[in-house]
Amino acid sequence: MVTVTRRGYIGLPVERTDAIEKAQGKAQYVDDLRRPDMWYGAVVRSPVSHGFIEGLDRDPDFDWSRVVLVTPEDIPGRNVVESLVHDMPFLASQEVRYRGEPVALVAAPTREAARAAAAAVKPRIRAAPSLTVPDDVVRIYKEGGELEYLWRQDIRKGDIERGFREAEIVVEREYRTGYAEQLYLEPQGMIAVPQEDGGVLIEGSMQCPYYVHPELCALLNLPPEKVRVRQTVVGGAFGGKEDFPSLIAGYCALLALKSGRAVKMVFDREEDILFTTKRHPSWVRHRTGLTRDGRITGWQVDFLLIGGAYATLSPVVLARGIIHATIGYRCDNVLIEGRVVRTHMPPSGAFRGFGAPQAFWALESHVDELAEACGMRPDEFRLRNAYRGGDTMATGQKVPEEYGGPAVLRKALEQSRFEARFAHCSRGSTLTDRWYGIGLAYFCHGAGFTGDGEARIKARAAVELAGGGEGGPLVVIRASSTEMGQGAQTVLRQIVAEALGVPIESVSYPLPDTALVPDSGPTVASRTTMVVGAVLYDAAVAMKKALEGFVSQQFFDGADCVLEEAVFRSGSGQAVDFERAVQDYLRTAERQQRFEAVFSLPPGSQWDQENFRGDAYPDYSWACYVAEVEVERATLAIRPIRVTAVLDIGRVVNPVLAEGQVEGGLVQGLGYAMMEKVGVRDGLFEADRLQTYIVPGVLDIPEIRITFLEFPYRYSGPGAKGLGELPLNGVAPAIGNALKHAVGRRIHDLPLTPEKLFRAIEERLVEQ
Amino acid sequence: MNTESAGEKGLGHGWIRRTWVVNGEEVSLSVPPLRRVLDILREELGLTGTKEGCGEGECGTCTILVDDRPVCSCLLVAAQVPDGSRILTIEGLSAMEEGRILEAAYVEAGAVQCGFCIPGMLMASYALLRRNGKPTDAEIREAIAGNICRCTGYVKIVEAIRLAAERIGRAPAGK
Ligand code: FES
Ligand code: FES
Repeated sequence: MVTVTRRGYIGLPVERTDAIEKAQGKAQYVDDLRRPDMWYGAVVRSPVSHGFIEGLDRDPDFDWSRVVLVTPEDIPGRNVVESLVHDMPFLASQEVRYRGEPVALVAAPTREAARAAAAAVKPRIRAAPSLTVPDDVVRIYKEGGELEYLWRQDIRKGDIERGFREAEIVVEREYRTGYAEQLYLEPQGMIAVPQEDGGVLIEGSMQCPYYVHPELCALLNLPPEKVRVRQTVVGGAFGGKEDFPSLIAGYCALLALKSGRAVKMVFDREEDILFTTKRHPSWVRHRTGLTRDGRITGWQVDFLLIGGAYATLSPVVLARGIIHATIGYRCDNVLIEGRVVRTHMPPSGAFRGFGAPQAFWALESHVDELAEACGMRPDEFRLRNAYRGGDTMATGQKVPEEYGGPAVLRKALEQSRFEARFAHCSRGSTLTDRWYGIGLAYFCHGAGFTGDGEARIKARAAVELAGGGEGGPLVVIRASSTEMGQGAQTVLRQIVAEALGVPIESVSYPLPDTALVPDSGPTVASRTTMVVGAVLYDAAVAMKKALEGFVSQQFFDGADCVLEEAVFRSGSGQAVDFERAVQDYLRTAERQQRFEAVFSLPPGSQWDQENFRGDAYPDYSWACYVAEVEVERATLAIRPIRVTAVLDIGRVVNPVLAEGQVEGGLVQGLGYAMMEKVGVRDGLFEADRLQTYIVPGVLDIPEIRITFLEFPYRYSGPGAKGLGELPLNGVAPAIGNALKHAVGRRIHDLPLTPEKLFRAIEERLVEQ
Repeated sequence: MNTESAGEKGLGHGWIRRTWVVNGEEVSLSVPPLRRVLDILREELGLTGTKEGCGEGECGTCTILVDDRPVCSCLLVAAQVPDGSRILTIEGLSAMEEGRILEAAYVEAGAVQCGFCIPGMLMASYALLRRNGKPTDAEIREAIAGNICRCTGYVKIVEAIRLAAERIGRAPAGK
């Protein structure tokens, strides 16, 4: 069900503008592209998890005549990924810090030849001790042993000692999650084409052209104008193509510049799973003080993420994780201590939710346990403790008088008939063969970059007037936000069409190319519709004003006019068509063609990055999921039967696309909750293919009921908030809580599998 | 159409010759016997609408129809496909009335996100509708159970197939 307000194009379920090409198989993903005289690249990887490089041996029996080899000495610029913390090399030159870390590159005329050549390069490495298994990290941490931290950050509010002095009940529990793979269906891939001026053109599958661009300038020692980065159609990303594409682009570029040819590199699934980023495994301990009547007096959280060999995006994943660690519930005394541990595994990275799914698995499981500890129903406890207007969050950010949280919570409870059904949960009863349980999760997602992120980036985007002609566009969007499947291309066009008062067909949005578009910031953090949408709206409004001014002078003798539905109309009923006006306007070259705008945070926003105090996000999207599950008593097979989802994502720009995001995120969350599991063996991810890394198929999905409630973002024209990540955040705890009420035992670590259920039930039998 | 593999001229050592009907057109090729049909389609014939998501028969993105049966072209090698076999890919389906109806239904239902799984989904959908014009929801799910979509959560894909089935059922016979 969708209850959204419509205002011209905003709220209209227009069809995706990129769908038909994709459905016809005509859309060109990177592996569908060929360039003249193109070679293929491959990576030579470290065979050990940790060690020191002594040399690279080339197999003397191999035919090296048609192979180009790149080693760290060939790097013209800086051999370091700038990212946030400058600690990761493009190619390891002395120390290798994970198994599979790139140490050299090869290119050859075919894919097979390139792979064979890579296998014929043998790095000589003196092995050193390594730490790879998440369980070992947690054990060492709990024993107080020595660990290396990539990042630490705390959040403090009030007086934690006092919080526990006032407590009548203290509940302490630990929650765990493991690695998870984005599994975008299109693997990572890039093509680099050397240019005549000594520069390079990069084309490929990526979320953030302006992450790749500066990295390549530094790596290749090239000025900005000699590096051009162009996005190809992206077959899914989910965070997995946020920072990693900089590496693979760098590899292709190095090979292309050395060989003087275009070089393509596309990972196969195994290489993609084994050596690209995963969701951070987590261990979170909540210790919470309560009064007997269910008020939270003190809250202490220990938040540990496993970061892998290099920091890359971990500091910001941690930031989001700790900010969301206790979010939603009133408490005056909070201490959250966050850490990212260094290990000898590939760097953990971005995956839809970005620290929040780990935070909510712990938080929303824990809140259920708190309710139980003071004898309340889970819904009652949440309603009692949910923020009220004027409360402050752990960072001190003030909760607005009106916000979506309580509304989505109430609506979801009502729609799912939670109270009545909760009474019917089986709780492990021996009287039935099929256990039933219902559970909820109440959660949110901070929309936009964390902390001072948006203030630093100052997202820019522009709209440009074009000549039209032969059905060509009259207005072109210039933004670096990428379409990766989520619908940005359609939604941003809707926003511009709405702001201008023209049909969506008049607005085009080509794939971003750094030679043509300003930096609108990366396509991450559920920020595109909210932040870039707001900027484009402003830019389009400026364009509209300029055109209206022009038309009024040119056609209406200075009488005011308004552009609506592609027609300029004056008060006295004169009319000029949009296309005609634009063509007239463009006849004089000096007239402003490009209208750019910049994002600004809500007035008065403040953030103290050192102490994590202040307005952590411009706004928050809220949601409540109620999950119902059945468990076969004999086999312990777990079946989710229904999820009732109520979400506030601000104004819904396109209800069909928004539903699609919720359904997709929810099913991805279901995989995280129940199926997806990556162990570690000998320094490698154990599940290295789709046969072993099992993601949800159509037969695994429950009935999904979706409702949107709109609490618009107050500081932008469109009023949209973040959507992309929110739907994944709360799935696992909703299912986990339902499972608890079905079987009477709680599982504290993901994924929720029949094996774990079996062990939990065995424990109960032993206790009895 | 006559094509030879991988830039080599003539029949390479141990290669085989195959003549298939690809999207209604006769195609003769010389290829290594173990070359995957997926690679032949994409690289030799330039039919890049068929995608590779896993290369091991698990994701269904490479689904094509061989003599009307859906198969994973990543698991199929040239030697396994006899002369005279009829191969249908997304490019061929697109040119057919049923293909157009299916595509339109996918677009309308909002079933396309990143699109990478979609050609394979459409092939599986078409294979279903060929043998069963009035599938139940359970039959629809069964038919695409081997196709992974990481974006949509499948809800709108099932809707799209339902919609296409209704429309194809209504389309005048003979088209
Ligand atoms: S690529 Fe053939 S099934 Fe995945
Ligand atoms: S639409 Fe992206 S995998 Fe299906």
